[in-house]
Amino acid sequence: MVGKRGRVIGRIAPGIVGEVMLPVRGATEAFYAYPAADEVIEVGTPVVVVEFDPPRTVYVARAI
Amino acid sequence: MFWTYLITGAIALVVLLLMFRMVWRVAEPNEALIISGLGAHSSQEQINETLGFKIVVGRGTAVLPGFQTVRRLPLDIRATPLTVTCVSSQGIPLHIKGVTAYKVGDDYGSIANAARRFLEQSDEEVKNTIHELFAGHLRAIVGSTTVEEMLHDRETLTTNIRGSLAGDMEKLGLVVDSLQIQEIDDESGYIKNLGRPQAAAVEAAARIAQAERDREATEREQVAAAAKAAAVRQSSIAQAGYQAEVDQANSKASQSGPLAEALARQEVVVAETETAKLNASLAEKQLESSVLKPADAEAYKQRTLANAARDAQIASAEAQAREVTLRGEAQAKATELNGKAEALAVQAKAMAEAAGIKARAEALATNTDAVVAQQLAEAYPEIVRAAASSFEKVGNMVVLNGAQGIEDTLVKTITMGGSGFALAKQLIDSLSTNNEKPTLEAVPDENTRA
Repeated sequence: MVGKRGRVIGRIAPGIVGEVMLPVRGATEAFYAYPAADEVIEVGTPVVVVEFDPPRTVYVARAI
Repeated sequence: MFWTYLITGAIALVVLLLMFRMVWRVAEPNEALIISGLGAHSSQEQINETLGFKIVVGRGTAVLPGFQTVRRLPLDIRATPLTVTCVSSQGIPLHIKGVTAYKVGDDYGSIANAARRFLEQSDEEVKNTIHELFAGHLRAIVGSTTVEEMLHDRETLTTNIRGSLAGDMEKLGLVVDSLQIQEIDDESGYIKNLGRPQAAAVEAAARIAQAERDREATEREQVAAAAKAAAVRQSSIAQAGYQAEVDQANSKASQSGPLAEALARQEVVVAETETAKLNASLAEKQLESSVLKPADAEAYKQRTLANAARDAQIASAEAQAREVTLRGEAQAKATELNGKAEALAVQAKAMAEAAGIKARAEALATNTDAVVAQQLAEAYPEIVRAAASSFEKVGNMVVLNGAQGIEDTLVKTITMGGSGFALAKQLIDSLSTNNEKPTLEAVPDENTRA
């Protein structure tokens, strides 16, 4: 899961729960996302998974 | 022998198939097989820690009957309608209607969590549990949001919902595919009042615009109607003019017959007049010849005669006049001489008379009575005659005291003449001697004295 690239579909910011779509199991699924560094990532930004907390939580960072 | 083997083989095959059917389970894509029992552990590749049961997704597996049990956990989507009565952060009571779509997560951790909780429960029970859970979460979310935010800012609402549900959903092994709020109702009319100012403004603008356009349209309509009326008027006037011309031509045409007739008659009359004129001149000429010319001749004759007569008369008159003039001159001369002589005579007479009057006056002055009586006696017949003649005029005389009266009347008439003389005497007396004689006194009436 770590290193997978996804897209933000729910705004990610410190203090609130965001959502990202990640390609997994042949399709995309939604995961709860938190920012790895304290930053605000708006909807539609490509991100990369930095850390994975099973079953449904990921820590993401902006994918440059 | 052969058939026995065949039948035995067939039966064996069937038995094998049946046994296979009893043992082999295939997981459909939307379900997970949960197998627990003898040797049912998850393989290393799936999860580190042993689950205590085997999860099979998307393939078939053999299940030892008696030693292992298999359950199917449906992984398909489940939808629950939410009907929640709650209060917003402003304290406004709301009825929220929504729907939530959720499913068991597809990863093994979620399946394991869900299997442990929901495997034996029916759909209905699961739904109820989930409904209560979500309603509580929604109440919490609504209680921290204002109505305006709920209406206008869906993104924030979704984020809040997600934040609220994330922990619980992970615990349950569920995944919320979508949570949508379909209706937000409030009994106090707060939401309706939110929209009222805008609605009123738009309605007012619409009415104003409508009234404006209506006014414009009516103005244009009336202008067009006025133009139409003007055009109609023009056409009517023109038509009336043409109609008048037509009527005039018609009447002229209808009059042409009588007109021609009248003209013809006029010519006839003119001709007749001419004839009459000629007749008259003929008569005139005739008269001329029959009457005028002889008359003229006669007149000429008479005139000439008259002229001659006049000349003769003039001559005679002249002669007479000459004669008269001469005679007159002679007479005048004679008269002149006569007159002169007469004048001398009269003068002498007058002188004599004057002397006589003077003598008489002298006599009157001395003896007036005698002179007056003499005069009276001289003039008496004339006086009586005058008195008598005065009675000539009288037509009807009534005397009241008989013969005496007549006599009295005569005497009165005479005396009137006499009293005139008495008056004359008085006057002469006064003239001749102013001092001696007294003034005039009234002449007494003979009758009263008598």
